[in-house]
Amino acid sequence: MHELLMSPPSWLHALIFFVAGAVLLAIVLGFVTYAILADRKVIGYMQLRIGPNRVGGRFGLLQTVADVLKLLMKEDTIPEKADKSLYVIAPAIAFIPAFAVLAVIPFSAHLQFADIGVGLLYYMSVSGITTIGILTGSWASNNKYALIGGMRAVAQMISYEIPLVMSVIGIILMTGSLNLVDIVMEQQQLAFFIMQPLGFIIFIISGIAELSRTPFDLPEAESELVAGYHTEYSGFRWAFFMLSEYVYMFGMAALTTVLFLGGWLPIPGLGFIPGVIWFSLKFMLVVFFLVWLRATFPRLRADQLMEFAWKVLLPAALANIFITAILKELI
Amino acid sequence: MFGEGLAKGLKYTLKSLAKKEVTYSYPEETLQMPDRFRGIQKFYPEKCIVCNKCVNVCPTDCITLSGKPNPDPDKRGKIIETYDINFEICILCDLCTEVCPTEAVVMTNNFELAEYSRDELYKDLQWLDENDTNIRKENKV
Repeated sequence: MHELLMSPPSWLHALIFFVAGAVLLAIVLGFVTYAILADRKVIGYMQLRIGPNRVGGRFGLLQTVADVLKLLMKEDTIPEKADKSLYVIAPAIAFIPAFAVLAVIPFSAHLQFADIGVGLLYYMSVSGITTIGILTGSWASNNKYALIGGMRAVAQMISYEIPLVMSVIGIILMTGSLNLVDIVMEQQQLAFFIMQPLGFIIFIISGIAELSRTPFDLPEAESELVAGYHTEYSGFRWAFFMLSEYVYMFGMAALTTVLFLGGWLPIPGLGFIPGVIWFSLKFMLVVFFLVWLRATFPRLRADQLMEFAWKVLLPAALANIFITAILKELI
Repeated sequence: MFGEGLAKGLKYTLKSLAKKEVTYSYPEETLQMPDRFRGIQKFYPEKCIVCNKCVNVCPTDCITLSGKPNPDPDKRGKIIETYDINFEICILCDLCTEVCPTEAVVMTNNFELAEYSRDELYKDLQWLDENDTNIRKENKV
């Protein structure tokens, strides 16, 4: 993969990358399908229920497939007073960055789709574009619940993006690089979640807030907002918003794995297991943690949300940067 | 300590993960109702003496019956000809089975009465006679 990335461009390369991208998309869609099922199943077991168990055998293995097929057959509604062109492109604006950020994630030592020097910066900045898609969709729907939900989502995502970026600066200081492969290689001795415990906690919290999952699911607080920014959306377009949400879950779990859990690097002594397996094990651990949190915690109050980001997480992240800088100078 | 409750909650949900679920897979596994459960009546035509007590006691007037003279000229009394219960209005109150002197109408533990048409809720003598599963063991309590 690496030679391919470094070789001069040609039409054959374009074809190979197109196919590789399509394969990644298929894998991501497969992940999303079973992440939704795992979400429901694990939460079900944690609440002493069974969860989906009708479609596709005892474990409901085809439940999500059936749900998606139902969504695709639904009527594609566009409100009469909506801004039609914005309404139509908003799901695309929300989804495309979610998939585009996956390009820089190194899944193993050789499996990576783009080896950018500023990979981490690329992830952070491109993922911010989704916020615009959400705002566009909520504005274009011409619905008060959608607008309030969209405003909440945007306020939350912008606020939590700052501690998210700040929390990884500690890692950047220690590595001296924004390249994700370099960051993984730096963790050969000790993973960054041990060396950067404060940064890790801040990253996880603001990462969950970025994903707007429980306990930060205020943009979709159904008891207050009907459904949040996608109130007016149905069928295929709604599926795109949900898809981007779960693809971000993929992205965020992969980024956590790469930044803090040592990516594809094995636990010492178990090097014979291939890197991709290690990556997916750590990745699944993060995904399980997200589901576990969702089954456990109630939703944060709206007024606590902003205070928490600006008054707790941001100063803690700044303190983490200073501590890291001082320790780096001393050692 | 700050965050203690969060850890406590996480520990609790993780423990619940391994516990047995409290839900039933209902349509596949039939629910075992306790004895004395008031379910759909079972009717024994041969026991009935057409005394009309159940019709009189029924609070919702959902039972209608008719009898005919006993075909055997040596025996006195009547035998049952039609016996209908309207399950649109029957409240399964158990009074008909309590009042019945011969235990010709008894309760069962069956309770599934969903139908596509309201007409199908009029259950006749034959249907009630064939409703002979899960019959309640003790009826005069």
